[in-house]
Amino acid sequence: MQISLQTYRPALLKFQSLIALLILCLTIGLLSDKFFTVANGWNVLRQISVNVCISVGMTLVVLTAGIDLSVGSVLALSGAIAAGLLRNGIELPASNLYIGFTVFGAIVAGLLTGSVLGWFNGWAITRFKLPPFVATLAMLTIARGLTMLWTEGFPITGLGDSFTFLGTGWLLGIPLPVWISGGIVLVVVLLMDQTRFGRYVYAIGGSESAARLSGVNINRIKMLVYTMAGGLAAVGGLLVTSRLDSAQPNAGTSYELDSIAAVVIGGTSLSGGRGSILGTVQGAVIIGVLNNGLVLLNVSPFWQQVVKGIVILLAVIIDKSSSRND
Amino acid sequence: MNKNGLKYGVLVLLLAVVAYNSVYFRKLDEKKASAATTKFDAAAYADAFWKTKLLPDSGKAIELNMLIQELKTDKDKAFEAHSHALSIGNLRYFLVRGTGKITAIGDHDVTVLLANGPEVTIATEYVFGNAARDASGQIRLTDFDNTMDLNNVSSEINKIIRNRVVAPFKASAKTGQEVSFIGAIELNREHLHTDAIEVIPIHI
Repeated sequence: MQISLQTYRPALLKFQSLIALLILCLTIGLLSDKFFTVANGWNVLRQISVNVCISVGMTLVVLTAGIDLSVGSVLALSGAIAAGLLRNGIELPASNLYIGFTVFGAIVAGLLTGSVLGWFNGWAITRFKLPPFVATLAMLTIARGLTMLWTEGFPITGLGDSFTFLGTGWLLGIPLPVWISGGIVLVVVLLMDQTRFGRYVYAIGGSESAARLSGVNINRIKMLVYTMAGGLAAVGGLLVTSRLDSAQPNAGTSYELDSIAAVVIGGTSLSGGRGSILGTVQGAVIIGVLNNGLVLLNVSPFWQQVVKGIVILLAVIIDKSSSRND
Repeated sequence: MNKNGLKYGVLVLLLAVVAYNSVYFRKLDEKKASAATTKFDAAAYADAFWKTKLLPDSGKAIELNMLIQELKTDKDKAFEAHSHALSIGNLRYFLVRGTGKITAIGDHDVTVLLANGPEVTIATEYVFGNAARDASGQIRLTDFDNTMDLNNVSSEINKIIRNRVVAPFKASAKTGQEVSFIGAIELNREHLHTDAIEVIPIHI
C-alpha cells in the first residue's frame, strides 16, 4: 500500500493552523521549561482575550472584503471614555450638577463609544463609497486624537476593584476575560452559521454585485459589521483598561496589526468571502503563543517584530498557494 | 396596543433601566467639597514617610563595599536579600551606607573614594527616580489608589532630599574631606554594573 503526502493533503490543509499551533507549542515547550505551566497557560489565555475580541470583529469586516485599521484607536478611546466617566463623571457647573457613573454605566458608555465609532466607519464607507482602508485610517487618527484630548495625554488610573475585576477576576477557576472572549466567539459563530446575517456577510465578500442582485441590503449589512467591529474593539478596550487599572492614551497602538495577523493566519481571505471565526481564534492563539514564547525565550523585542512579520508572511503564502490548488 | 407600540415600549423601558443603573446625580459643590477632604496629599505623606520610616530604617542600610562583594559572589542572592522595588523588572533599589574621601566636586555630583573600595558618586543636581522611595521596601503599591499618587510621593521625597540633604552637603563639601553617607542606589539585575554607582543621598 502506497501512502503519499497527497493522501493527507486535504486534512493537512484543513487543520494547517492547528498543526502550526501544535508545532509552535512543542518547540517553545522544549526550549523553555516555563511554557507548559498552568500559570503561563492562564497568562497566555488572558493576554489573547483582548486580541480575540478585536479579531472576531476584524474577521467580520474582512469577510465583507473590507479592513478596519481603527480598532486599536477605538479600543483606546472606548477604554479612556469608560475610565474617565467612572473616575471623574461629568461636571455641569452652570446647573451645579455632577453626573457620576457606576461601573455598569462606564461599561455601557465604553461600548457605546466603540459602536458609534464603528458605525461612523460603516457610514463613511457606504455613504461616500470610500475605500475601507482610507475611511478607517482616518478614524485611526481621529480616535487617537480624541483619546489624547480626553485624557490630556495622561493615564486615567484608580478605577476601583469592581471595575478591575472585569480584567483580573476569576469565575469558576477561569479568568473572566477568557469567559468574555469565549462568549463573544460563541455568539458570533452562531450568528455567522445560523442566521441570514452570516450568510449575507459571506455573500457580500464573495461577490458584492451578486449579493446586491440577490436583494441583500449591502449598506445595511456593512454598517452593522463595522458597528460590531467597533463594539468588539470597545470590549477589548474595557478588558485592557480594567486589567491595567488604567486607561493609557497610547493603549492599543498597533493592535490592528495583531488582529489582522490573527485573521490572516486563521485562514480568512483578505479578498473576502472565505474564512471563519474559529480559524481567527486559532490565529489569535498562535500570535499569543508566539508572543509569549519569544518573551520566555528572552528574544529581543526587535527580533520579535521580525519573527512575527515572517510568520504572517508565511501564513499568507501558504493560504494563497492552498487556495490556488483548491 | 399594536406590535410596534409594544416593541418601542419595551425598548424605552430597557433604556430607562440601563440609564437608572448607569448614572447618579449630586450637587457639584457638595461633590467638590467631599473630594477636597479626601484628596491625597503627597507632600504630607512623603514628609511622614521620611521622618517615621526612611530615616529610622536607614540603620538597616548595607555597607556598600560589602554589597559589591556579595554581588560579585552571588548576584541573585544579594539582590534577593538586600534589594526592593515596587515595579516588575530588572531595576532594583538598595539602601546603602559608606564612608570615604571626597575626590572631586562636580556640577552634578560629588565623587567619593570609599575606604577599601571603589569610587562612587553622590548625586547633587539630578535627584530623580524612585530609588529613595523604593529602597527601604517600606512603601507598598496597595497603599495607593492610583499610580499618579505613588509617583507624586517619589517626587516629593526627591524634593526633600534636594532641600534637606543635598543643599547643606553642597554648601560644605570640600575635596579631601571625609564623609559618611546613607543613600539609595539603583542596580539592574540583568545588566549589572558596579563600577559607576550613583548614590541618591538620604543622610550625610
